[in-house]
Amino acid sequence: MITAEMTETETCQTEARDIIRLPFGLLGFEHVKQYILLANPAEEPFMWFQMLDDVKRAFLVAPPASIVSDYQPDISDDEVDFLELADPADAFLLNIVTLNRNGSATVNLKGPIVVNRRTLIGKQVILNNAAQYSLHHPLTAS
Amino acid sequence: MLILSRKPGESIVIDGRIVVTVIRLDGEMVKVGISAPREVPVHRQEVYDEIQRNNVEALTENRPRIPRFVTKQSSATHRKPAPALLGH
Repeated sequence: MITAEMTETETCQTEARDIIRLPFGLLGFEHVKQYILLANPAEEPFMWFQMLDDVKRAFLVAPPASIVSDYQPDISDDEVDFLELADPADAFLLNIVTLNRNGSATVNLKGPIVVNRRTLIGKQVILNNAAQYSLHHPLTAS
Repeated sequence: MLILSRKPGESIVIDGRIVVTVIRLDGEMVKVGISAPREVPVHRQEVYDEIQRNNVEALTENRPRIPRFVTKQSSATHRKPAPALLGH
């Protein structure tokens, strides 16, 4: 258990302090290899994938099941081996959400972050079937 | 940039551990096979670039307020916080 430094506006409702390690980082952020997942019930199903060493910087993420009903990510055998996913149930997927300035948002369905929930090792995986999914899947405002 | 001429079936070895083989030519398309250790990520350049750009755009500072969106989970029925999803 690690206590991450909280920002001043932090409401302290977050509980998940387990470090998720991404040996390759995220694309474009290859040097940042440790994250924590922050969940606030009021923000469900969204969560924050926050850089462990830079508490101000985070990606908004959501499990794909909360976004689309028929997501069938095809993850290559190499990625499965790398992540040591012995069973599909070991995989925990998070898709990165982009909040736009005008209040709209899109979700990246092509390249989810796949985390082995046993080892907490993860990787941003470009799906074998990425061509059939949108990089900018729109969320509908409610 | 090093430029090599290869025929289908011929290969290039990089760093003694990555083998790039020209599989076949099909009009303007070249089918290339790549054998690399699994710690070496291999991506099509354009997909890699667009996901990388998307990540950069998605990064937030100081966790902004999230607008309301239609999602598939109702928080009333799925009161399951993230820790339960990880590392049980």
